[in-house]
Amino acid sequence: MNEFFKKLGNQPIYKRLMKEPLTYVGGAVLLALFNIAHFGLFESGWGVSSALANWGAWIYQSFGGDVSSWSYFASEKAQQTLANGFWMDGGSIRNVGIILGALVCTLYASQFKIKKIKAVRQVVAAILGGLLMGYGARMAHGCNIGALFTAISSMSLSGWVFAIFLMAGAFIGSKLLAKYFM
Amino acid sequence: MAEFTLDCMGEACPVPLMKCEKKMNELKVGDVLLVSIDHSCAMKNVPEWARTRGHNVEIEEVDDGEWEVIIEKTN
Repeated sequence: MNEFFKKLGNQPIYKRLMKEPLTYVGGAVLLALFNIAHFGLFESGWGVSSALANWGAWIYQSFGGDVSSWSYFASEKAQQTLANGFWMDGGSIRNVGIILGALVCTLYASQFKIKKIKAVRQVVAAILGGLLMGYGARMAHGCNIGALFTAISSMSLSGWVFAIFLMAGAFIGSKLLAKYFM
Repeated sequence: MAEFTLDCMGEACPVPLMKCEKKMNELKVGDVLLVSIDHSCAMKNVPEWARTRGHNVEIEEVDDGEWEVIIEKTN
């Protein structure tokens, strides 16, 4: 069995499709096609982080918390989404799809690996970075998908404003990275 | 010609590329650098960067999700 997959992995077409990364143009074309399909089917743009905020709310509620008084979840629509639950929230299903899809791809490419944590610093940076990104994305009403990719492709000026500040953040972030991780 | 190694296991982008760039400055022309990587996007951007600099690059898949990028400094 293992021998079979080793052979399959060396097959040129399989290698090209499943193991090697797509070209930037190839990726861009696929993203554009899926974005159009998403917009046509669901009549809304692609976003990632708003569903993640719902995940947070559900976890908080499972510990007995109550978010109904929070202004972020105050709208009737947000309350309805939370009440309907995980399986009725399309954004949540789509996010799970992204994670499962990525897993399947690494398995097909035989590149799955559980990485060792090299230093405590990595853990601190990952948690701090994740909290900042998540908080920032919600304050900005979108992450680099909802507020950048979807906004710009929908001809919204807000996407370009987001891009300028994203660049500023990336610049500061890379300076910090060079200072603490090199 | 000397051989150098750079351990980038467990490092995420763009740290492997930044470390690689720094390390290459220590090498003389003809020296070889072996970079161990287990981050698939670094496996794309490290060889890409080295090739645009004109160095000779070879990639070896060591294990599932583990690569060794061999860079020979040419200039």
